[in-house]
Amino acid sequence: MQTHNIEVDILVIGGGTAGPMAAIKTRQKNPALKVLLLEKANVKRSGAISMGMDGLNNAVIPGHATPEQYVREITVANDGIVNQKTLFAYAENSYAMIEELDSWGVKFEKDENGDYAVKKVHHMGTYVLPMPEGHDIKKVLYRKLKQARVDITNRLVATRVLTAPDGRAAGALAFDCRTGVYTVIRAKAVILCTGAAGRLGLPASGYLFGTYENPTNAGDGYSMAYHAGAELSGIECFQINPLIKDYNGPACAYVTGPMGGYTANARGERFIESDYWSGQMMQEFHQELAGGKGPVFLKINHLAEETIMNIENILHGNERPSRGRFHEGRGTDYRTDMVEMNISEIGLCSGHSASGVWVNERAETTVPGLYAAGDLACVPHNYMLGAFVYGRLAGESAADYCAGIELAAVDAAQVEAERQRIFAPLARGQGLSPAQVEFKLRRLVNDYLQPPKVARRMEIGLRRFEDIRADLQKMAVSNPHELMRAAEVGFILDCAEMAARASLFRTESRWGLYHYRQDYPDRNDANWQVHVQVKKDHSGNMQVFKRALEPYLVELEETEKKVYQQLRIQPRETISCRR
Amino acid sequence: MMSLLDELDPDAAEPILIAALQDPAREVRLEAARALEAQDSPDAVAGLLKALEDVEYSVREAAAQSLSAVKNPAVGALLLEQADNTDAGVRAGIFRALRELRLPAATLPAVKALPDEEARVRREAVAVLGWLKAHSALPQMVVLATSDPDAEVRRAAVGAIGFSAETLVSKAVESALADSDWQVREVAAAVIGKLGLQELAPALIAALNDSHWQVRLKAAHSLGRLREGGAVAALCDLLFDPVSNLRKEAALALGEISDPASIDPLFEAISDSDPDVRKAANLAYCRIKALHDLC
Amino acid sequence: MAFSQIDFPVKVNPEACIADKGCTVCIDVCPLDVLAIDPATGKAGMKYDECWYCLPCEKDCPTQAITVDIPYLLR
Repeated sequence: MQTHNIEVDILVIGGGTAGPMAAIKTRQKNPALKVLLLEKANVKRSGAISMGMDGLNNAVIPGHATPEQYVREITVANDGIVNQKTLFAYAENSYAMIEELDSWGVKFEKDENGDYAVKKVHHMGTYVLPMPEGHDIKKVLYRKLKQARVDITNRLVATRVLTAPDGRAAGALAFDCRTGVYTVIRAKAVILCTGAAGRLGLPASGYLFGTYENPTNAGDGYSMAYHAGAELSGIECFQINPLIKDYNGPACAYVTGPMGGYTANARGERFIESDYWSGQMMQEFHQELAGGKGPVFLKINHLAEETIMNIENILHGNERPSRGRFHEGRGTDYRTDMVEMNISEIGLCSGHSASGVWVNERAETTVPGLYAAGDLACVPHNYMLGAFVYGRLAGESAADYCAGIELAAVDAAQVEAERQRIFAPLARGQGLSPAQVEFKLRRLVNDYLQPPKVARRMEIGLRRFEDIRADLQKMAVSNPHELMRAAEVGFILDCAEMAARASLFRTESRWGLYHYRQDYPDRNDANWQVHVQVKKDHSGNMQVFKRALEPYLVELEETEKKVYQQLRIQPRETISCRR
Repeated sequence: MMSLLDELDPDAAEPILIAALQDPAREVRLEAARALEAQDSPDAVAGLLKALEDVEYSVREAAAQSLSAVKNPAVGALLLEQADNTDAGVRAGIFRALRELRLPAATLPAVKALPDEEARVRREAVAVLGWLKAHSALPQMVVLATSDPDAEVRRAAVGAIGFSAETLVSKAVESALADSDWQVREVAAAVIGKLGLQELAPALIAALNDSHWQVRLKAAHSLGRLREGGAVAALCDLLFDPVSNLRKEAALALGEISDPASIDPLFEAISDSDPDVRKAANLAYCRIKALHDLC
Repeated sequence: MAFSQIDFPVKVNPEACIADKGCTVCIDVCPLDVLAIDPATGKAGMKYDECWYCLPCEKDCPTQAITVDIPYLLR
């Protein structure tokens, strides 16, 4: 089979949110660079914001919040396990990014005097900035990519980062999911922007593609970074989201919140104590469901007609336009009915929680020449704006890095070994279908990894994952599309194994439901105020180890800590500073 | 077709799109108007300006929207030439597009458009002045805020004058707080807090009894921003309102005001059935105790 | 699959679809690449049952030929 060879200065893998920004910024930094944006789907409509986004929930805008305040709040929200330098890099660049996006034509809500209409949701700072016309955001990015003369290639599935003998990133190996052509891309620097691992758990419906995250995001980058030797961090801090039941979209309490909507139990009462979309909140959600006060609902039926119409415009127009049709099919009217909610399947996503490829404040991974940004990169609670900011940082860092180096020589053995590995199912003729293997794998993920977690279950899970690994060698496909699904099963399996091993390693509970260990139900700061890292060691084994926290740049003030602590779940009688 | 054009170089696609603005098929004109969003070449702008006169409302809207995304002041000058177009849709579109450009030169044409016969034009024109924070236009804007026959125009105008705390504005906002439309009253209540119009505190306290809880909520919020001691008793009553969003806002406002007189009711609210109210009450309670050294 | 009838969520109206005239908009924008031209008819249709119900195919179709069926639940 023929091989297609490409040489560029910088390769950006993933054309969703962070990727286009990274590509644009490399070209703005140095117009002489040859930059390729590689996308598995089509850049026009790919990634987590394919249909737009209805608002920012972490906008750090002068006058409403300070970077210090933001860093403190995320430190608390992520139970202390943060590299504050990375949070600072985000917070300090957040406003400039909003201004830049605004100048590109992305529309943010402004008041009648043209000032940003930031809404107060959290207690300490104010971070929510609605985007009533946010459905156009991909179009704006696409226009900018064209203006920046970034080369784009769609429908190319990257499967491994190519590495040089000295260990640095040297490009990537990929295949076309329509033609099946094997593609070797040489690059001086590689930026991974492949999004979350959204196809890890199986949705309650049992439907493989009914996931919360865009199912194109199978954890490709997590797996690629791992095999390239990069450290991953916080993998045990899963992503679990509140969803509309029988529908894969979020209920978006944070969108309706500023307008008066909230998450309620069966009696229509608010019960969420936590201020963040966090593991704490999911824990409360889980307890309410388990404790006989469920189901849990999104309640907006007490709002005025004008407000409900506004909510409908935002929720049904932007992020998930299918939502309106779903409610219609079910006969749900926001005016009279509460909307039943449920808990999503598990996933890995730093944008919402903290699980990702380890990066520093310049978006560098631990592998030279390899950068990461967006949902994939470990900068906790980063969301869409964080993807843009880190896309920019990655693009600018990579552009600087490229100036001093040459393309690495291609390791022919690596190229050939990957060709054998990736195309094997096409040559096999008879065997298991990727969908079958994926279903088995993700069913096992639910059975053994879905929190609450316990050691014995996860150990059994790991053994079953080994069985699945044997199944990978039996998959057979008949075309390049199915070959893509087969490659994805490999990504999902790597993510599942990392999730199990990292979760087993951290013998305490933290982040609410995200890492609730029934066998270690308490938080243990003495031993576990550390990052848990996963890495492939030199003999090819999965290594899990502790990485000490960097000293905090912003200490939490005692009084503030106290107030936050009091906002944690606890019996009502004790919530008071009167002792 | 539009998707195929996306693949082209933007410079190559532009003339095709401009030509498509004259296509007999409505869909093609509409798509072309959308696709030309933010294109700021003279040809594209001229084409879009012409499209503001399209027979189809949706095409006119799309053209105005696309022009509004142009962040080029030179384009603003072209838009201004059309500010007294005979078609009201065009006039409204022009002002809508001008808003985000914040061109000082747009002040006079916008003022001239304030008495326009069409409400949508008045609404967009006053918004342009609001974004410009056009001090010189305040007298005319105030007229719209207080006596325009259209509620949506009044609402937009009250918001638009929310950049200056002078008496003229204060008087208009006070009158808007008694408007017949609740959405106008809601904006007025918010503007009082934003501008810190201390003299309107009594009117805000009265608004805590508004028939619409949305107005009561904004009034409570603004009283907090004003740190209005005179509102403590009324806000304490609000701590036990049936609407939980309102109880929460009252607790937050009491925290801002930090009067020891609210300590006991706040302590009671710490046992509210609603967690958000409990959190707000607790924050306010702790803050007052700390400030007055009562711990 | 030969024994079971599958009801695909992406419905294409063959009268309106202009894939046979060279249009590939829906096929291009699908994130999961599940749409393709049916060689028998020249029209677009679902080739793989892997829909995420995200709707760009429907929104971006120049002739409004597509409807994504969302009944009372996704599956």
